[in-house]
Amino acid sequence: MVSDSIPNASIASSNLRDFAKKKRANRSAKLKQCKLDARREQWLSHVKHKGEYKGDANGGVIASIGASVHLENQRSQPICKLEINTRNDEGIYVDGSSTHHYSDSDSVQSNSPTSHTSSVSGSNDSAANFTRSSRSSSSSTNGSCSGNMSEEDEGDAGDDDCLDDWEAVADALAATDDKHKDSPSSKNHDHSTESGSQVVASDQMFSGINIPRIHTASANSESGRTANRRALINCCAWRPDDACRPQTLPNLAKQYSFPLKSEHHLDRGSVWVRKNVGTIPTACPICVEDLDYTDSSFCPCACGFRLCLFCHKRILEEDARCPGCRKKYEVEPIDGEATLDGGSLTYRLARSCSMVARS
Amino acid sequence: MMMPAGGGGGGGRGGGGRSWPSTTSVSASGKRIQKEMSELSFDPPPDCSAGPKGDNLYHWVATLFGPPGTPYEGGIYFLDITFPSDYPFKPPKVVFKTRIYHCNVGSSGDVSLDILKDGWSPALTISKVLVALRSIFTNPDPYKPLVPGVARLYLADRVKHDEVAAEWTLRFAR
Repeated sequence: MVSDSIPNASIASSNLRDFAKKKRANRSAKLKQCKLDARREQWLSHVKHKGEYKGDANGGVIASIGASVHLENQRSQPICKLEINTRNDEGIYVDGSSTHHYSDSDSVQSNSPTSHTSSVSGSNDSAANFTRSSRSSSSSTNGSCSGNMSEEDEGDAGDDDCLDDWEAVADALAATDDKHKDSPSSKNHDHSTESGSQVVASDQMFSGINIPRIHTASANSESGRTANRRALINCCAWRPDDACRPQTLPNLAKQYSFPLKSEHHLDRGSVWVRKNVGTIPTACPICVEDLDYTDSSFCPCACGFRLCLFCHKRILEEDARCPGCRKKYEVEPIDGEATLDGGSLTYRLARSCSMVARS
Repeated sequence: MMMPAGGGGGGGRGGGGRSWPSTTSVSASGKRIQKEMSELSFDPPPDCSAGPKGDNLYHWVATLFGPPGTPYEGGIYFLDITFPSDYPFKPPKVVFKTRIYHCNVGSSGDVSLDILKDGWSPALTISKVLVALRSIFTNPDPYKPLVPGVARLYLADRVKHDEVAAEWTLRFAR
């Protein structure tokens, strides 16, 4: 995203000093996050970036943010957090410079020694101004930084939203740029600071995503952006069964996801139906080797006793009895519905058991 | 009541002429036995203990305390447990090394316990075997006896049976 200029006519010098201080204090945290992002990028290098490569000066960081892993179940919480952060930002800036001066990361600091503090003089209520200031790489805020730190502590949750935020920010900029051309308030902006290095880090986007929610001026473009974000959520997260899902991702995600209702019907009648009650063991109880995905979806006996395919084959070669119930393994695949003696009870059991299956 | 003397005390008399896989085996049975060992040390069943006799993972010594309320109360019974190399698909072999007056334990120490023969399941563990062994102290099975005379006495004159069993406990198991 190329921003033409940043107005900085009326910023109070005291604010500048405060911001510089905050920046210095927060720089280490930012650097840490940059490292984390870089590592994540390395990790995900074989996954194609999905086109949110929008940064120019700091492309590496941005790309890594864009490629960050999206697990569906991590979504809702960070978004709430973002809203809180933005509220913090708002409070700070309204008190400080009485201008809507949003967000903005200070990872810029390393690239652009002069602190770019853009504030909007006059015409504060225009959405165009607001977006403009948020786009400029300007002073850091305590709110955004502390939020950033806490998100680092909590793992990838905070970073995961960056991708969505980028998209939303880009849309917001596109929308408000158009408005800005027509807006008379744009004349108020003189470009005292040329923010050439335009580094926009992740926390800048945090407030970016929330801009439309707080400022009704840009509410008309909100729905489009929200939809865009939803779409991103759907298209960027790896489903547990995703083909391009990295092998190195933890298998935990599988356990969180619930099976589709149709899965039961699809699998019915096959030996792979999950009809186990309770938790699925992570290791074969016979040989104590870890169960892989095939093993863990393998349920050869109606009693629900699971074991790995190797041990199952070995038992079939000998007495062919299930270790769990000591009944003979049936040659035909066992169907929950087709079990004769169980009747409707067995059928219900099989269906309820299919709820614990991993997708 | 005397305390059990170490792991290899009691009636431990060596493991016969059969050669067992070494401890360093990475076979499936070795891994399984090692897991059972760690589980036993972490959460042992009551009044039981078991562990490898020496550095051979496949040859263990187990200790059972005679349960209170039985004629075996106060006795300490040592058992040899040998794991086959295809454990857990085959049951472990359990032999009483301490003499006991029990209709399910032969004079040579062999045990008639269903789960150690046809009733074995690979899902069973040594911990469960120990619990089952302990349960035959309290509930002998005179209908599938290894020593028919003891079983007959148990069914005919329970008091007499208990007296003899307590006497054997005093004589051999302390």
